[in-house]
Amino acid sequence: MRKDARQKVMLAMVMAGITVVLAGCANLPATTMYTYGDHATRILDLLMVVFWMAVAVFVVVQGALVYTVVRFRNKQETTALPKQIHGNTKIEIAWTIAPAIVVLIIAVLTFRTQAANSVMPPEAIKIRSIAHQWWFEFQYFNQDGVSLSTPIVVDEQNQPTITTATDLYVPVGVPITIQLDAADVMHNFWIPKIAGKTYMIPGKSNYLTFTVQEPGIYKAFCAEFCGEAHAQMHFRLIALPQAEYDSWKVNVAKIPASAAGTVQVLGLTGDAARGAALFADAKKQCASCHVIAGTDAKGKIGPNLTYLGSRTALGGAILPYSVDNLAKWLQDSSAIKQGNLMGRVIKKGTLTDQEVADLTAYLDSMKLSVALPAEK
Amino acid sequence: MAIAEQKLTSTAPTTSESFQWRSWLATVDHKKIGIIYIISAFVFFIIGGIEAMLMRVQLGTPNNTFLSADLYNQLFTMHATTMVFLVVMPMNVGIGNYVVPLMIGARDMAFPRLNAFSVWLFLGGGFLLYLSFLTGGATNVGWFAYAPLTQTQFSPGQGVDYWILGLGLTGVASIAGALNFIVTVLNMRAPGMTINRMPLFVWMNLVVSFILIFAFPTFTVASIQLLFDRQFGAAFFNPALGGDAVLWQHLFWFFGHPEVYILILPVMGMISEVLPVYSRKPIFGYSFVAFSGVGIGFLGFIVWAHHMFGTGMGPLANGFFAAASMVIAIPTGVKIFNWIATMWGGDVRLTTAMLYAIGFISMFIIGGISGITLASPPIDLQQTDSYYVVAHFHYVLFGGSILGLFAGAFYWFPKMTGRMLNEKLGKVQFWLMLISMNVTFFPMHFLGTEGMPRRIYTYESGMGWEMWNFIETIGTFFLAFSVLLFIYNVLVSLRSGEVASNDPWDAATLEWVVPSPPPSYNFLHIPQVTSRRPLWDAKYPHSTADDHHGEKSAPSQIRYEYSHEDSPGAKEIHMPTLTYMPMVLSSGLTVAALGFIYINQAILGLPMRVASYVFIAIGFVMVFYAIRGWVLDSRRDSPYLGHH
Repeated sequence: MRKDARQKVMLAMVMAGITVVLAGCANLPATTMYTYGDHATRILDLLMVVFWMAVAVFVVVQGALVYTVVRFRNKQETTALPKQIHGNTKIEIAWTIAPAIVVLIIAVLTFRTQAANSVMPPEAIKIRSIAHQWWFEFQYFNQDGVSLSTPIVVDEQNQPTITTATDLYVPVGVPITIQLDAADVMHNFWIPKIAGKTYMIPGKSNYLTFTVQEPGIYKAFCAEFCGEAHAQMHFRLIALPQAEYDSWKVNVAKIPASAAGTVQVLGLTGDAARGAALFADAKKQCASCHVIAGTDAKGKIGPNLTYLGSRTALGGAILPYSVDNLAKWLQDSSAIKQGNLMGRVIKKGTLTDQEVADLTAYLDSMKLSVALPAEK
Repeated sequence: MAIAEQKLTSTAPTTSESFQWRSWLATVDHKKIGIIYIISAFVFFIIGGIEAMLMRVQLGTPNNTFLSADLYNQLFTMHATTMVFLVVMPMNVGIGNYVVPLMIGARDMAFPRLNAFSVWLFLGGGFLLYLSFLTGGATNVGWFAYAPLTQTQFSPGQGVDYWILGLGLTGVASIAGALNFIVTVLNMRAPGMTINRMPLFVWMNLVVSFILIFAFPTFTVASIQLLFDRQFGAAFFNPALGGDAVLWQHLFWFFGHPEVYILILPVMGMISEVLPVYSRKPIFGYSFVAFSGVGIGFLGFIVWAHHMFGTGMGPLANGFFAAASMVIAIPTGVKIFNWIATMWGGDVRLTTAMLYAIGFISMFIIGGISGITLASPPIDLQQTDSYYVVAHFHYVLFGGSILGLFAGAFYWFPKMTGRMLNEKLGKVQFWLMLISMNVTFFPMHFLGTEGMPRRIYTYESGMGWEMWNFIETIGTFFLAFSVLLFIYNVLVSLRSGEVASNDPWDAATLEWVVPSPPPSYNFLHIPQVTSRRPLWDAKYPHSTADDHHGEKSAPSQIRYEYSHEDSPGAKEIHMPTLTYMPMVLSSGLTVAALGFIYINQAILGLPMRVASYVFIAIGFVMVFYAIRGWVLDSRRDSPYLGHH
């Protein structure tokens, strides 16, 4: 290869390398490399130390391998035998100790980070999340503060003041402890930019404490395989400044105003009052699975739909909220999310387009005014 | 050495040279059994590879609808189950079956009929696992089968039951095979081959066999508990009825982590054979390499919960399992350094087998380093269940086990078939496979770091995951092409490859003393061993001293006699006779297992239940018939009880 050609190849390789590194470092919607929560930040800090140690080990060992192969490869078919060395105990003891020192350093750093990430301050805000196939439920209670010795027990005295789904509202700058439960199978609670994963296990409560550092809407997933629609079990963390969080908490606990108004969807005019009647109609089965505060809809199988019109996403956070997407979901949810339980009852054609438009108008009419932060 | 040293005046003819179904279906020859294992495992490798490609096509673009969610879930479950239980394990067992008795100077495994039973039962298990695709859908709960998703209310079909019983059969086959290896290695070594002189491949097979008999029963018992949950309403793993879902994870990973070493240690043994031969040097630090394998075997049993850092075990338990997992880096590092030192100062010949062995080390370094962060609980909580883990274990299992197995394949193919593989084509295949596996698996590190969860059949656009996923999918096609090149190479070489001599690589161990392929009895005379490199020292008698530059001596100094099937001495060697009974026994167990799958499926109604009892009855009749026949065959075959 000529020299300039070689330089071009080198340049191309360097450019490709930089592209790769930049791509790895871009602030993508769910990256673990740009963190906005203390839990994830401490992990990232530890990772970066381990990463550079790993790079050093990689360069030394891979380099030794390549160098050895290149230097000692047989170039001409010589027949002389190389020196028959069987080993060298001193060297072998040395390279037994070397990795031991490396892992000892990593272990010490690991235990420090683990200790910091295990702290559960008693004053932390207490929220319960229950995972279902395939959506996340969130419950808020009057008393804050939770510890391992005082788990949230829901009984007649202690009913959640707010029950919602898909959007998890929290204030920024204060520690939050989530009690993680599961209603059916195992799930896993993961907000990549905020905190590492914690399992949600039926029959066993887990706890995760984190502080969100900046207001924003953060993507979050179920990270443990939990059945057919596992890929589409997401939620969103909505971190608000304390004052806005407080006002959200007051407003969302109120009973929605009676349904009124219309929306244009599917080329039809949906009427909210008609939609409310449809929702309550036992034949349509909506109320047997969903709760809407202040109505007779008290089903506990699906997500609580109170103030659905203020959600940022639908169907387990797989569709951005809009009246069009809501109508699409009501028409044929199985086409959007295979396996979802509603799709087994409300199939394509179960509801007429007019009924879909009316229900959309009703659900969309329950709105709160919240100043939403930007998506991070 | 009971069989090996018996020299009776038996006139029983040894198996014929021409191809006969009987000589394979009724064989008890460890070499034929090894080849059945190898071919079956390779077929499953192709099936598992096709499953992987289907998944990659689905994930190549966001919001793809090429596969349904349920089919994707079946495919990723069966891909893992296949690659672990039906590819790498049996491939290791197959090569071990073929090579270990030859390496230790034995004429067969200690229990030839049990050996045949193992291979047919493994195939029965594989058959059941794949039959489920045709009977309503394969298992779709992941190969880890976390409770309580496996309970009937969440997984109502029979896929999980097929999985339990299919793996139950392969588990019994593996345990029987492991016992066979242990007894063979401990009892059948040629005179003079002390434990301290065993080839490292034999060492690693011994270690793995011990791991297997301690690890596998845990899984078998847990999966039978799960079967009871599903069929009879027991509640071991069902929290709704007071069971414990996390218990399953402990039982599964108590088996599942040692299983990782079951997959990799025999391959490390292969590498430890291949590297010295093509470096024309002995292995550097034999004892360190052997005992680091033993160390990994022990440590492998106290690290299982590093798969469960997120389950809320608490900082103390997490800390213990983190520390234990990190300690494993030490013996693993020792092995890598010793392999590099083996090549250092050597006369390194870059044959295809050697390239694969070096590729193994190189990729294993990456897989090993990426594993360190998974041993650290805080970092693990970000990386676990993301594509980062998928990258990590493919570097260990593909970059490690599979590349290492290709090294073994190119190294021992001449011995097994009497033909050489095409080296040029092999090298092209090596580079293509090495590059395309990196294209396929390396970007998964980025995807995991960018928050892409595992086991998702689709993802939305706009997450920044599109480019890497597309590149990975392209990579799989090149990977598949490199496997096709290997198949082509094998087929051409079998027909018209260069004829292999007894010792084409100028190797050191006993399998290269005998003809390629070896006669059914392996050795006409059991060799007398005086060193770790018996053949080498016979060829180069003055080369062993550390400080001595050995000159190539005349090959006439080799002290072993070669012989052929029809030589007069061969007729006097007593070998066990052909018998169908191991296959009948395995088939009977498979039929009965099929019956057990439907024993309590109320939903399917009475006819299905009756059919289930009929299958169980037929299966057990076959089992009892085969046991009786087996005992009679043994009597007839015994040098003490037969031939009156």
